[in-house]
Amino acid sequence: MTSFSIGVDIGGTFTDFVIFDPSAQQIQTFKLLSTPDDPAKVVLQGLKKIFDKKGSQRANVIHGSTVATNTLLEQKGAHAALVTTRGFRDVLQIGRQNRSALYDFFADPTLPLIPSELRFEMDERVTHTGEILQAIDPDQVKALIPVLKVRDVSSVAVCLLFSFLKPGHEQAIAAELRSAGFLVSLSSEILPEYREYERTSTTAVNAYVSPVLDGYLSHLDQALSPQTHLRVMQSNGGTISPAEARKFGVRCILSGPAGGVVGCEYIGRLLAPASGMRLIGFDMGGTSTDVSLIDGKPQITTEAVISGYPIHIPLLDIHTIGAGGGSIARVDAGGALRVGPESSGADPGPACYGRGDLPTVTDANLVLGRLSTDHFLGGQILLDTSRAYKALEKLGKTLTFSAEQAALGVVAVANAHMERALRVISVERGRDPRLFTLLSFGGAGGLHAADLARGLGIPHVLVPPLASTLSAFGMLAADVIKDYTRTVMLPDITPIADLNAQLEVLAQRGYREILAENVPAEHIIIERFLDMRYCGQSYELITPFSESVYADFHRLHQQQYGYANIEAPVEVVNLRVRAVGRGTPPPILPRPIHGSDPSAAYLELRRVIFAGIPTETPFYLAELLEPGNRIHGPAVVVRSDTTILIGPSDLAEVDRFADLLIEVGK
Amino acid sequence: MTYDPIRLEIFKHLFAAIAEEMGAVLRKASYSPNIKERRDFSCAVFDGQGRMIAQAAHIPVHLGSMPLSVKAAVDHFAGDLRPGDVVVLNDPFQGGTHLPDITMVSPVFLATEHIKNTQGTKGGPEVFMVDGSLIGYVASRAHHADVGGMTPGSMPVGREIFQEGLIIPPVKLVKAGRMDQDILNLILANVRTPQERRGDLSAQIAANQRGADRLAEMVKRYGLGEVTGAEEQLLAYTERMTRRLIESLPDGIYRFTDRLDNDGIGDQSVPITVTLTILGESVKVDFTGSALQQAGSVNAVYAITLSAVYYVFRCLLGLDVPNNSGCLVPIEVIAPPGTVVNALFPSPVAGGNVETSQRIVDVLLGALAQACPELISAASQGTMNNITIGGHAPVSTEEREAGTRSQPFTYYETIGGGMGARPTSDGPSAVHSHMTNTLNTPVEALEYAYPLRVLRYEIRKGSGGDGKFHGGDGIIRELQVLTDCQVTVLSERRKFAPYGLNGGGLGMVGENLLIRGGVEIPLPGKGSFDLQSGDILSIRTPGGGGYGVKSS
Repeated sequence: MTSFSIGVDIGGTFTDFVIFDPSAQQIQTFKLLSTPDDPAKVVLQGLKKIFDKKGSQRANVIHGSTVATNTLLEQKGAHAALVTTRGFRDVLQIGRQNRSALYDFFADPTLPLIPSELRFEMDERVTHTGEILQAIDPDQVKALIPVLKVRDVSSVAVCLLFSFLKPGHEQAIAAELRSAGFLVSLSSEILPEYREYERTSTTAVNAYVSPVLDGYLSHLDQALSPQTHLRVMQSNGGTISPAEARKFGVRCILSGPAGGVVGCEYIGRLLAPASGMRLIGFDMGGTSTDVSLIDGKPQITTEAVISGYPIHIPLLDIHTIGAGGGSIARVDAGGALRVGPESSGADPGPACYGRGDLPTVTDANLVLGRLSTDHFLGGQILLDTSRAYKALEKLGKTLTFSAEQAALGVVAVANAHMERALRVISVERGRDPRLFTLLSFGGAGGLHAADLARGLGIPHVLVPPLASTLSAFGMLAADVIKDYTRTVMLPDITPIADLNAQLEVLAQRGYREILAENVPAEHIIIERFLDMRYCGQSYELITPFSESVYADFHRLHQQQYGYANIEAPVEVVNLRVRAVGRGTPPPILPRPIHGSDPSAAYLELRRVIFAGIPTETPFYLAELLEPGNRIHGPAVVVRSDTTILIGPSDLAEVDRFADLLIEVGK
Repeated sequence: MTYDPIRLEIFKHLFAAIAEEMGAVLRKASYSPNIKERRDFSCAVFDGQGRMIAQAAHIPVHLGSMPLSVKAAVDHFAGDLRPGDVVVLNDPFQGGTHLPDITMVSPVFLATEHIKNTQGTKGGPEVFMVDGSLIGYVASRAHHADVGGMTPGSMPVGREIFQEGLIIPPVKLVKAGRMDQDILNLILANVRTPQERRGDLSAQIAANQRGADRLAEMVKRYGLGEVTGAEEQLLAYTERMTRRLIESLPDGIYRFTDRLDNDGIGDQSVPITVTLTILGESVKVDFTGSALQQAGSVNAVYAITLSAVYYVFRCLLGLDVPNNSGCLVPIEVIAPPGTVVNALFPSPVAGGNVETSQRIVDVLLGALAQACPELISAASQGTMNNITIGGHAPVSTEEREAGTRSQPFTYYETIGGGMGARPTSDGPSAVHSHMTNTLNTPVEALEYAYPLRVLRYEIRKGSGGDGKFHGGDGIIRELQVLTDCQVTVLSERRKFAPYGLNGGGLGMVGENLLIRGGVEIPLPGKGSFDLQSGDILSIRTPGGGGYGVKSS
């Protein structure tokens, strides 16, 4: 029997499982309630359920873990120390010396992950040309060991100035400390790029989260049979082996949302196999919303800040805002209608869940008639309309609005939040949203997607059938990916051949390390980039490497920032290589096209309020729609995991992969 | 226009998004580390009357002063602003603050998109909307690393403004979408690093263009009536919130005086006095009694004083209120002309923006602490510790023989310090406070770019004031120069320490030292000095004041 694949995504409320069995060519999904106190528990519980049913444990499990993220958010990491160049141990605390809130005397700074008494300095110095000004003293390194032991340190981050040019000093420290039994994170291994604070921070995060992730993964590994192979999702959209993840925990921050972006990319490839689609991923959940942009391929950022800590390794560019279906609406002291950032969470949840009394976005949607009371979450929760109505009525009173007017307002304000997030990921990044399709996934997005698209001039909305488990599915579709960089700071007179030769060193390393992950050689792809800028600038553009890389840079600059400066000298800041081991994503097979008539899926007629006008609106059950069915708005499509609103001027069609494609009207 | 709580909230986001997107363009496309790494810039959106509707949260000292730039541009060109024009200015007496801050103001017309992207190309714009209606303005301001004058970095200790650099009154740098090369050349001929200036000016134009496009799109999408109605509501909203805040403060007259160490030329202290009269929902902020304008550069123009007042009330308002001109409506500011808080031409003003602005905040907080002690923190470091180093990067013998000329360089940095302790917690250490929030230049970026080496960058332990809650600690930053160069230091709180509140102790004063051949030589708080290759400049910044009596 061949092995099957399982994607597991741990979320705040639910843990999603997606199973692909190649022998049956079948994809199955299910959800279990998460177990935040012991995240491994729900994973093992779900896997057992699958193994029992299949009668086999021969499986590849790809795991998106929240362990690294939560370790950082909840400040529950290792007792870690930091070793720096003499004079610079406070770099980690000073950061960029700015304060997070401009107009707040009471805001507190983000606490450094490693406190002052665990930060140590070495007498050593390398210059910006890579010259060793002062060599490290081996005795000083040795003297550190008893100190670290007395302080009960288990994990050590090492970040010396200009170590990316001459890693020898960091390596010397690592050799001593590793042989003394410490887990050591070297900045020259984790992020060999200039800018000491961001490099120190990234290295410190690694030292802080890796031991915790290590413990979690060993626990899982021990509980699984040797027939079950575990892989871990990284924030860059690729997977790595548990052995690597345990050393480089920083690469696994945000691994869940990364799965969603890879899932979007996969759907784009399904519909446009040659180039992929231009998609904006819109994942609206209960408390937060993640947006991302896939321009054929997902976009990468090297400037992420998570929970106040810069992490400058390549991450999928995901913009998160604290607004979702559970966001609470209120009227502030100045009389403005506000939505969020407070959320009703899972408990008590929106008023219509029957426990809370505060009006949320979900309650507003219910009052507007846009949710089916009996089919919400497949009928698991019966929605209490009168409770939602009361909550909105109360909100409306302060505004001298009816409950319906207040509900329309809440939805409009929530949409304003979402629209701003969508603008950040598109227009602020130099992309015109009108050239993209809005891909809505996550539980709460379907009610808002068409209106958001209308506001931004986005012509189409796509809602895939796996919408609520797309992150776990994305993990099945993910490649093995490893990123390599090095700061070189070369002028643009550097011959292409020289750059190529230097890139080749990183490329060879990538090739070897992907091979070591058991990827067949013919599935390995090496992508080369240069991080470039005009001399004197301090932000780089990641430019694909080719013979014409210098010209391409000018074009890219024009596209991103609206001008190029052809005569100005350019510098190559970093070399960048991405080594990819192509995975074999589960195929989603097309289904035969039926007629356009959707009436077989017709559920009921309900009164829905659009722009203040109540309209008798047909509801359809998504599970009964067939490819080829067309639905003229207004309509609502109800699925067990989400509800999709089709506006009066919109037209929806079910495509051959069972996606709902909405053509957005005026 | 009727009041609409929903439109209010929606447009708040729309306007803020425009200002933020402008900021993103400027930050990423600019050249100098000063703008990109340190983010010493601001972007804002204005209505057709020049009232500020939204400002991206960047630099507080730009807050109250940006509307005055727009006003200066509009007044100067009285009706002669056309689609595609960009007005540039830095004249502190005509809409500016100090000379390195160059502001660009673009009028926005409904048809602006017809003539975009023609800047810099030959020939006029293809389409010219003669009757396009004015819908507002967008403006960007950035601190340029050098605008000429007597010392590199244009933050000298001078005696008149002419020594501080090139003065740019409101002029059209871009006319109907076309760059005026003559004006650009004139500017570039007067600065030490013209290539960098060219890039930064281009980035500002790009940011304004982006803002103008977005504002025009908004009007096309919602209609001019809807947008102007929303603008009125946003202004009224912030005004309402400000009135509510002031009403919550106890009526009364509160007076406070603090002082600058000196003006950098004489050694007399420079007192600044404020009298706050809170009555009902409005407040009078009267600086009568402050010192006359000074011979040295600590003079603040009115725009700076207004910004400091705006900043303090903006902080008390809380996080979510839009930054717009509505905040200042219930606040009357009296700053007698010819004083250090409203200096007149041709006073030198380089330090007014960076140093005096901080002291104005200190006196405002000192007065407010009498009215609402539970909302006010002790004095923060009260200075920006401005360091400018300029000279020529050394070239090797081979490079010289190959014809390479030594390149001029200008490095400008401000250094954080201790924040004042709060009524309920210690003050943060090693951060920028109040009127600035610029980032540091990374040590490695700095060493790549300039012939300088950083030897220490650490927290100045124990420099925060004692108290129930401690003031934040300052910073020690030590730089070794690797070539002969000129350094200008403009710093404060070297003599008069940041005050504590409710029995809290003083923060430690700052120190500037020159270390030459291992010998420490104290430097004054303000001045220009010639450094020799190998010299070390050590700047130790002040700590914040403490709050409350320390329990024994």
